[in-house]
Amino acid sequence: MERLLEVKDLAVSFQTYYGEVEAVRGISFHVNKGETVAIVGESGCGKSVTANSIMQLLPMPPAFYKRGQILFEGEDIVKKSEKEMQRIRGNKISMIFQDPMTSLNPTMKVGKQIVEGLKKHQKLSSSQAEKKAIEMLELVAVPQPEKRIKQYPHEFSGGMRQRVMIALAMVSNPRLLIADEPTTALDVTVQAQILDLMKEIQEKLGTSIILITHDLGVVADMCDRVIVMYAGKILEEGTVDEIFENPKHPYTRKLLGSVPRLDMDRSETLFSIKGTPPDLYKPPKGCPFFDRCDKAMVICKDHMPGKASHSKSHYSSCWLNHPMAKKDAEGSEE
Amino acid sequence: MVEPLVSVRNIKKYFDVGVGMLKAVDGISFDIYPGETFGLVGESGCGKSTAGRTIIRLYEPTHGEVIFNGRNIYQLSRQEMREVRKDFQMIFQDPHASLNPRMTVEEIISEPMEIHKVYKSSKERRNRVMELLNLVGLNEEHALRFPHEFSGGQRQRVGIARALALNPKFIVCDEPISALDVSIQAQVVNLLKKLQDELGLTYLFIAHDLSMVRYISDRVGVMYLGHMMEVAKSEELYQNPIHPYTKALLSAIPIPDPKIQRNRQRIELEGDVPSPINPPNSCRFVDRCPYATDVCRKSTPKLEEIKEGHFVACHRAREF
Repeated sequence: MERLLEVKDLAVSFQTYYGEVEAVRGISFHVNKGETVAIVGESGCGKSVTANSIMQLLPMPPAFYKRGQILFEGEDIVKKSEKEMQRIRGNKISMIFQDPMTSLNPTMKVGKQIVEGLKKHQKLSSSQAEKKAIEMLELVAVPQPEKRIKQYPHEFSGGMRQRVMIALAMVSNPRLLIADEPTTALDVTVQAQILDLMKEIQEKLGTSIILITHDLGVVADMCDRVIVMYAGKILEEGTVDEIFENPKHPYTRKLLGSVPRLDMDRSETLFSIKGTPPDLYKPPKGCPFFDRCDKAMVICKDHMPGKASHSKSHYSSCWLNHPMAKKDAEGSEE
Repeated sequence: MVEPLVSVRNIKKYFDVGVGMLKAVDGISFDIYPGETFGLVGESGCGKSTAGRTIIRLYEPTHGEVIFNGRNIYQLSRQEMREVRKDFQMIFQDPHASLNPRMTVEEIISEPMEIHKVYKSSKERRNRVMELLNLVGLNEEHALRFPHEFSGGQRQRVGIARALALNPKFIVCDEPISALDVSIQAQVVNLLKKLQDELGLTYLFIAHDLSMVRYISDRVGVMYLGHMMEVAKSEELYQNPIHPYTKALLSAIPIPDPKIQRNRQRIELEGDVPSPINPPNSCRFVDRCPYATDVCRKSTPKLEEIKEGHFVACHRAREF
């Protein structure tokens, strides 16, 4: 499998009045061509910061890359100038956001917003660009595209707006699409439509997708691999089957156990994770999940565990999975 | 036979929006029995929140009646209403917006007690605040803090403590967990369940997260565009949905298990929810329904009991 994106030991911080917030604290992962990778985690775990730093979309200052590399097709994005980034953004890497209302320009007709990107990246004439814009809306199954391109975003429903966003993101056939909670603001029936659309487009165009979400159902539906983030670190990564069937990190297990499932028995109790995630002004030295973990040991407090490998694609960072640990974390399920 | 605690009879709530009547809730009826949790689900704009608010008369109803403990609360005067209001409370979705940022937690929780003058001395009131804080998993230290000093989950606990202050019988929970993270959602849901067992509360639980509603509710009602489409026991509804809308809705929810999810057949719904302004006199779901016939376009189906305790509003319900 060919690697499209490789993030190596990336750390991103924000300089604030109260001190430095370490939002992302040394993460490494990769995305292969044509695959869908999910980044899951709770709010504040650094998943959106990771996504935005791949696009260099973070306001700098206050944000800054502390260390690490983001290799996209072999070139380091961290070192790119704004001018070089403009050639990549919307062209080779595109992004769709959670709220399609605030990410479209309300004062500009939808067609013009799509044409704008086309003219910039593909040097098409106005009439060619308009034709392409109509094609794109057809691709994302917006009915009556000729009429729709002359309308403003407020004339579209939430689902239709998200389709426009996808059309916008896909105009120049990007290699990588970053979708930051693309369906969180949508209703389930519309969510299903949008997820199917994304899958279909991916099949047609072979785009790699990074899907950022907190909805584990969406992950199971869409993704090949999963990265579990917590307090700026990656705690576990693996294929969807590995993560859902054989989670190795106590946090992943708790996370999976805290969502009620349609097919579960109602008398089963829901796991709740006590407490709240740590403050990233002063991130803990050891495992960030230490305070909330029932299986915490002395070593967890001060030392961050290394990556333990469970298969070629499955890794976790937990002392319980260390080769020297007495028994595997699986042994003691509550 | 147990008498229902709350009986909702054909309530309607219309809003005049200039270009027509927005029929947010258009004639829904159901019963809620003491000690149970009734879940109300539906997509955004289906009128579930308006229904919740109209039931406890936060909105003046356009039509209908709500029998609470044997009295029609829509006919009570302001004065009488005030007395009855002690018995029902509400927990809101956004814990940031529903707590006054300039009041301390103690002030927030004791406000309902002051308004209803339930305690004579401030000492008694303070004791009650501390008792409530402990009940919802906070402690005395938190009493003097302001809402911004709390996380989302803790703030929701404060909201719950305030709702419990007057020993209500019935609580409307309007999307109480949708603004929270997954791990915190489970904390709050478990707390709500615990309080129900300990205090014998009755909940109307409004949410769009169907898996959570199934988990917490004894019976569930599915709303679409101001109408009730289906009401049944939680297990029954999720295992044997009859209404085509309920079926599509349930099949659209991704199950967090890749093996199951890969083999599931989704019922695709075309298009979006239509506008609730001046809706036609047909089945509300007709434009998106794969089984629609002429009858469905001509008249609105009534909610009928198809099986014991399983109500469906669909002309073709008996065929499915």
